Amino acid sequence: MKENIVIIGGGIAGMEAASQLLDLGYKPIIIEKSDHLGGHVAEWNCLFPDMTPAGDVVKNLVTRSAGANIFLNTEISFVNKLKDSYNIMLSNGISIITKIILVTTGFSLFDASKKEEYGYGIYDQVITNKDLEHWFNTGDDKRVGDCGMNAVGFVHCVGSRDEKARNSQCSKVCCITAVKQAIEIKQKFPEAMVYCFYMDLRMFGKKYEDFYISAQRDYGIRFIRGRVSEVSENIDGKVIVKAEDTLSGKPVKVTLDLLVLMAGMVCCKDSTKVANMISLPVDSDGFLKSRDNVTGIIEAPKEGIFYAGACTGPKTVPETLAEARAAALNVHLYINRMK
Amino acid sequence: MRERFLTGYNDFVLPFVCGMLFVLAYCLIGMIRIIMQLPGEDRKRFFISLVTPKTLVKNIKDIFLKCLIHVDLWKRNKLLGYMHSSIAFGWFMLILVGHIEVFLYTSNLGAKALYYPIFFRYFVAETESTMKGSLIFFLMDFFLLVVLSGIALAIIKRVRSRLFGMRRTTNPSFTDLIGLYSLWSIFPLRLLAESFTADISGGSFLTKSLNYVFTEFLSNHANMLPAWWAYSCALGIFFFVLPFSRYMHIPTEILLIPLRNAGIRIVNARKGLAKAQVYSCPSCGLCIDACPMGVLKGNIRDTTVYLNRQIRRNNESRIEEISDKCLLCGKCTAVCPVGVEGDKLRIAQRSIRRYNFGPDYSNIDVQNEVRRCNKFVNGNNNSVSRPDSHKLLYFAGCMTALTPAIMQATESILKKSGTEYEVMDRDGGICCGRPMFMAGRLEEAREMVRKNTEIILGSGADTLLLSCPICYRIFREEYSLPGIRVIHHTEFMNELISEGKLKVRKGSTRYVFHDPCELGRGCGVYEQPRSVLSAAGELVEAAKNRRESICCGGSLGSLTLGFDKRKAMTENAVANLMSESPDEIVTACPLCQATFGRYSEIPVEDIATVIDRNSK
Repeated sequence: MKENIVIIGGGIAGMEAASQLLDLGYKPIIIEKSDHLGGHVAEWNCLFPDMTPAGDVVKNLVTRSAGANIFLNTEISFVNKLKDSYNIMLSNGISIITKIILVTTGFSLFDASKKEEYGYGIYDQVITNKDLEHWFNTGDDKRVGDCGMNAVGFVHCVGSRDEKARNSQCSKVCCITAVKQAIEIKQKFPEAMVYCFYMDLRMFGKKYEDFYISAQRDYGIRFIRGRVSEVSENIDGKVIVKAEDTLSGKPVKVTLDLLVLMAGMVCCKDSTKVANMISLPVDSDGFLKSRDNVTGIIEAPKEGIFYAGACTGPKTVPETLAEARAAALNVHLYINRMK
Repeated sequence: MRERFLTGYNDFVLPFVCGMLFVLAYCLIGMIRIIMQLPGEDRKRFFISLVTPKTLVKNIKDIFLKCLIHVDLWKRNKLLGYMHSSIAFGWFMLILVGHIEVFLYTSNLGAKALYYPIFFRYFVAETESTMKGSLIFFLMDFFLLVVLSGIALAIIKRVRSRLFGMRRTTNPSFTDLIGLYSLWSIFPLRLLAESFTADISGGSFLTKSLNYVFTEFLSNHANMLPAWWAYSCALGIFFFVLPFSRYMHIPTEILLIPLRNAGIRIVNARKGLAKAQVYSCPSCGLCIDACPMGVLKGNIRDTTVYLNRQIRRNNESRIEEISDKCLLCGKCTAVCPVGVEGDKLRIAQRSIRRYNFGPDYSNIDVQNEVRRCNKFVNGNNNSVSRPDSHKLLYFAGCMTALTPAIMQATESILKKSGTEYEVMDRDGGICCGRPMFMAGRLEEAREMVRKNTEIILGSGADTLLLSCPICYRIFREEYSLPGIRVIHHTEFMNELISEGKLKVRKGSTRYVFHDPCELGRGCGVYEQPRSVLSAAGELVEAAKNRRESICCGGSLGSLTLGFDKRKAMTENAVANLMSESPDEIVTACPLCQATFGRYSEIPVEDIATVIDRNSK
């Protein structure tokens, strides 16, 4: 079992694939640019729909993948294509020759300040979904008032399904994340009015619909169908949100203590960089292009290159883990075929 | 000089005479129709302007400089200018000197006056005593040479338009081609015909030399008549196709110039001034290179030159397509050598469309707004108003509401400068009307203009400040606000800085300023933003700037362009701004800022946020 397997990205996809490959008897190499494993999930608090602590999920994966060769704080400097393999030069000076690369570079969170009309970075009381999870985790954010939260709003689809923001794809997870976060806010501030401004609610996953109904029935969260047009600030430092309730056909205006923007998933710059180095095709949505979107989503059009997770498009945590396992199996079969 | 023929007539003059009479009659009727189509008030103003000495002088000067010398083309490209003025001015001088010659050397002209100035050399023989005429001989040959050089350049331009500073030119229509080839052949044929008779009627360095050099062929008088026939036929064909080809611009421009100088605006989409503009289009195609949509090849046929052609053909579906697609950036208007207003022409086309239903704004009540904004009306103001201070009303507009950083910065600058102000639309206001105006829905736009006028006049303010040039333009053009100064924030900041009310720190950042269409070409504000920016950092220029600035691609003007199509335009505009590798793109329009922000690699900011950050 001397075959080198390089996994680019130490998020949940990379770790899950690594742990499966370890079980299969390989010794994969994980390359991670930051100083810790876990990617975006490590920064989350709880996962829908069962409120599983994200920390537990990550901790479990870190334990299971501990046997792999892990390079933290490491980036890929360049890749040379050899006859039937790749020579990967890392920023720490190590070079690896491999026939198999598993790309698990994931996604980036949409930069909410690009939607200037929502006032992120301009008004103090506007935060993103990630900021809120950070506050759930640490309780450290001056923007979230500890007392006197009377009204909180959530804006769905920030930078998703939005041609003006150059992202026409649906980010898949924000609908349910917004429902989850709205419930959590309501649990922390039972007196607060919580509004969700949505254009469609895509409750496709297991138990999502129950979760959504519970949010309305048990927590009294108000769902308003219509996009937010603009956000302004009043003299007290509260934010005023103007939207249209497209079901009643009337404009609505609410004053809020906190506005949470559900920033969507966009392609990660590092994915594009890796794609350029190995000359992999990029799809029209900016994510990596698979061999086939139905039967070969985890395979690149090139021999020996595999994908798992959100580098090919927005995915939920269970989808990502399933893809990682499938990719590990594909790698195993590919190595067997090579012999 | 004596006449050769007793009758002074030959059949070959007929094609020319018929053609000329046809063209004159056509133009006369056309001119009367256009003038009759003007609204009564405009017609009156037009006639008055014709007899006002000031406009009269301007008309004559403009006609001479534009129609004959083509000064605008000279400024653009010397070769292009020379080509046009050599043909136009040279031909004009040939006709003028031809007439002088005829009137000097013949008596009792009668009907001969119709064709003698053109075919004089055929009908006369030189006598010993005409040495005095040698100056005229020389002039005629000289101007013929000038025209021929122009024709030679025109032929080269057909093949190599880049030499003339044009990347793309118009695809000529069938009648344009007939006109073009007959025009090209007129002058060589004239040279040939006059060379045949040079040994009889006399000539100068060109015709006479040619006669001597090719003496075998040209001295054979049996060949003479066919050459004169060919010359006359070329003229006749040119005159007959002229009304149906682009060459109609020659007579129409002479009417368009006085109409424009009389200050007449387009009212009807197809009649009056609009018609004069459409027929004045020489199909030169300068608007093709200017058009920001030109980055996508498929849009080339949607430029103003093709709009004019389709309007002349009454091709309604294409007129609608072209009119709706346009971004209304006004660059074609800025570069047009004859003054066709491509943007206004399109708004007029949009305005004739009828909608089954539309928004109704009549029930919007503005009384609340009037009450909220009347801070400056005497007795309503608690704070003591300083006499030197502005009573300023700030209308942010909807685009600024979507870019709250601009509104914050503008308000902060107002506070820093100690200006007394009130925000007119803090809590949401009525649209300025420009988007509806651009869409051609003029009545809806006017409804909004009326409502806003009521609020502004009721406020007691003396200055109206705008941070969006889209609003600024309609406030300047369509609003009547007596006693109130309408000012854009770039102009306002410039004043504050020069009066010392706002202290700006100069940094080392290299800024490039993008001229928004509505602020630059729309309102003629170019210098103030540059002087403001120079106070905050180093100012660099884009490859194409000011009047030639390239639309960001986000314009509200287009009704049909999708985001995918606009992307290429924005990227092209960004590349234009990057020519001197600035650190930051600065603009003065919230829409340009949002559009560039999507595709630019370097930061994009409004001028107000830059100044607010760098001032105290």
